[in-house]
Amino acid sequence: MGSYLIKRFAQLVVVTFVISILVFLLVHLLPGNPASVILGANDTPHNQAVLFKQLGLNKPLVEQYTTWITSALHGNLGESYLDHESVGHIIATGYPIDLELIVISQIIAFAVAIPLALVTSRRPNRPLDNVSTTGTFGLLALPPFVIAPILVAIFAVALGWFPATGFTPITQSLGSNLRDMILPSIALTFGSIAVYYRLLRSDLISTLQQDFITMARAKGLSSTRIMWRHAFRPSSFSLFAAAGVNIGALIAGTFIVEYLFALNGLGFSLVNAVNQRDYLVVQGITLVVAVAYVILQFIVDFLFTVVDPRVVRG
Amino acid sequence: MGEDPMTESNEISRRTFLSRGAAVGGAAVLGVGGATALAGCSNSSTASNQPPVTSGSSPGVGKGAPRQGGSATVGTLAEIDGFYPPLNHWDTNGFLYANTVYDPLMAIAADGSIQPYLAQSLTPNATYDVWTMKLRPGVTFHDGSALTSTVVKSNFAALLASPLTKVPVEEITSVDTPDSLTVVYNLSGPRPTFPSGLTTQVGYVVAQAMIDATNSGQTPNPIGTGPFVYSQWQPNNFFTATKNPHYWRGGYPYLDQITYKPIPDGTQRAATLQSGGVDLILTTDPSIMSQFATNSAYQMVDNLKGDLIEPTVAFIMLNCAASPTSDLGIRQALAKSMDRAQILKIFGSNYTKPASGLFLPGSPYYSETSYPAYDLAGAKALVKQYKAQHGTPALQLSTIPDPRDVQLVQVIQQMWNQAGFDVSIKTVEQATIITDFITGQFEAVTSYQFGAIDPNLNYVWFSTTTVAPLGKIGLNFARNSDPQLEAAMRIGRSTTSLAQRIKAWQAVNERLAVDLPYLWLEQFPIALVGDQRIQNFAALQLPDGGKGYGFDEGVFFPSQVWMA
Repeated sequence: MGSYLIKRFAQLVVVTFVISILVFLLVHLLPGNPASVILGANDTPHNQAVLFKQLGLNKPLVEQYTTWITSALHGNLGESYLDHESVGHIIATGYPIDLELIVISQIIAFAVAIPLALVTSRRPNRPLDNVSTTGTFGLLALPPFVIAPILVAIFAVALGWFPATGFTPITQSLGSNLRDMILPSIALTFGSIAVYYRLLRSDLISTLQQDFITMARAKGLSSTRIMWRHAFRPSSFSLFAAAGVNIGALIAGTFIVEYLFALNGLGFSLVNAVNQRDYLVVQGITLVVAVAYVILQFIVDFLFTVVDPRVVRG
Repeated sequence: MGEDPMTESNEISRRTFLSRGAAVGGAAVLGVGGATALAGCSNSSTASNQPPVTSGSSPGVGKGAPRQGGSATVGTLAEIDGFYPPLNHWDTNGFLYANTVYDPLMAIAADGSIQPYLAQSLTPNATYDVWTMKLRPGVTFHDGSALTSTVVKSNFAALLASPLTKVPVEEITSVDTPDSLTVVYNLSGPRPTFPSGLTTQVGYVVAQAMIDATNSGQTPNPIGTGPFVYSQWQPNNFFTATKNPHYWRGGYPYLDQITYKPIPDGTQRAATLQSGGVDLILTTDPSIMSQFATNSAYQMVDNLKGDLIEPTVAFIMLNCAASPTSDLGIRQALAKSMDRAQILKIFGSNYTKPASGLFLPGSPYYSETSYPAYDLAGAKALVKQYKAQHGTPALQLSTIPDPRDVQLVQVIQQMWNQAGFDVSIKTVEQATIITDFITGQFEAVTSYQFGAIDPNLNYVWFSTTTVAPLGKIGLNFARNSDPQLEAAMRIGRSTTSLAQRIKAWQAVNERLAVDLPYLWLEQFPIALVGDQRIQNFAALQLPDGGKGYGFDEGVFFPSQVWMA
């Protein structure tokens, strides 16, 4: 297992390095430049030249990359061209919001999908199963930007239970924080519920046809015990593999939810930075998100080796 | 023109550049004065610092006696990039923040004249090339330092040193400070409307400590003379300022605290107001305005009920230097084939006003022009003529990747194709499209521009002197080079007669209707919507007692707002 993990770690380093180059190049391939945004109507060649020199954008790309990545490795991701805020500070302020959104949405998704799959898989093709399967199809078709305004119209405007926008840090008030995060988390969670439910239901139906389940039934074990103790674990591999990939995708999903609910997370900052060609902010956030995703996948892979040693041998 | 995700902030960003360019750039091209403006600037009467008891029945005007205390939260369109006038880009939100922590040297009065604000008076010499400003005595910045002529001069030096604000102030050749409260501006030529430039970004004064800190590479918190003191700013989250207990306008501000929350999505911003999350919102979406206009639980003030002089208008800009739009017949055909009534019906929610020029009915500058009416048969005939010589006219209609703008250009594309054009649509990212404007890399493109208190502030956008070849930097984006238009603007800039100035700008408007560099669509809408508790957000009492222009395309003065 040790060599497997070392190999995976080496891959992680290589992938991260490649990502850093791609991030840097992609950002510089975007049309437009920060000088135009900063200078506006005064965007003359002379002013551009002065500003490019000030920003270090007149240097060769390789030199710009080397300077940036060296600083990044020392924990310095630079500062915004526009408001001079440190990129590290932008990330430090933003990431707790993304993290909280993902954690709450995944708790909700598992809390809904797992019990529902356990119940419906016992009696497939019955009314409850049919309704759940069709319903989750519907959920898959509803992206967060469709769900969010509906949730707001019902729970914020009509009922007044939750705020329509805004964020209270957890350190300030846990209650207010959770109240602020419920609607954005629900908007983000629907797709996950659908995916997790359908995967787990399908695997459970397959597992429940195995001999060891028949044996458990013959022993007279209760249905609840059979489902939780004997059927759930072998059926959950696909679920957790999907969760690992899905959480990465959710990092992107949070961007639109943050925009809609005016949450100042990484996504919100990234969208603003892209619009304003604020290269260092775009590079910094993208790099951190990409590295977080790669590390997450590494952790998921590691957990698989623990749960199922066949993964290492494969 | 939209409220979809990513929409409204994009719009306002774009408007930001344009309005900023117009407003700030205007300071450099001040050309016309007016008896009204000049009379107002010379007013050096003693400041009336005691807040009056206001009583209003109009939306946004306070009802009853003002109440001290409390806090208000405002939902804004987008975040700003900073508080420092020489370096940052202020749009509607920027000016709101600025009116919170700073004061402008001059302000716009309700009658359109320019009146002293932080300045006590501003008077020209006989030739309008030297302006002498007296500052109000006893004004202090939030750090306790005094407002002096030296600080104002230092602000000017910072503006001149910045690529962003250099152009607007470079016609000020030097600034003298004969005493601690007198500033003398020496200009490169006669500038009768010099004061109007000081109502823009270059007219806000910051403390010396802020300039020094910025010059040493720091990003300091704002230090102004304004009614509120900077408390906390988390960009894209909130900006909070607390009451300035030493504010030079005694009795103001009424509120103990004001908070601004950028909520980029318009629908969510409206929902936040409805659910009590904020007390006041800005919106540019006609459908949201239409929704609140008939709801008695809210107060709404919008610019559609009458802009003072020149509103921001939406239009299709045509490139007069690029084929096929360089052909006047083609521009006429494009104008005649656009059914504006139909377009507004689809995109204006029956709320916005159609525009047929720079000015709207009600403005003293408004006059009927020969701008072409919808005439599909006439358009087809013109296209036929062109086809006979050059083949089918093909052109590209550009817009930003905003769902509603894209829908708008699709409708226009159909109308133009009906007339015989071959129109393709191109979406261009926000930051790039501005560069395309400047370098003339477009044929037809959606745009919003020209909102100004003084039409002369728009000189730079229409002048023959700012036309550049394609690919070169030119502020006359449409590259319409019309000597008659230039002559009219020069008369407008040089005269001190209001009647002559109006006549000159009516001539400009007519020339634009003849040349057709812009195909007019509608007045760009912007509104403030408040709940019933927030009072007086669209009213302004000037320091010398006169009525100010309380609602300038979404910008208000928070010092005079109170909570019922």
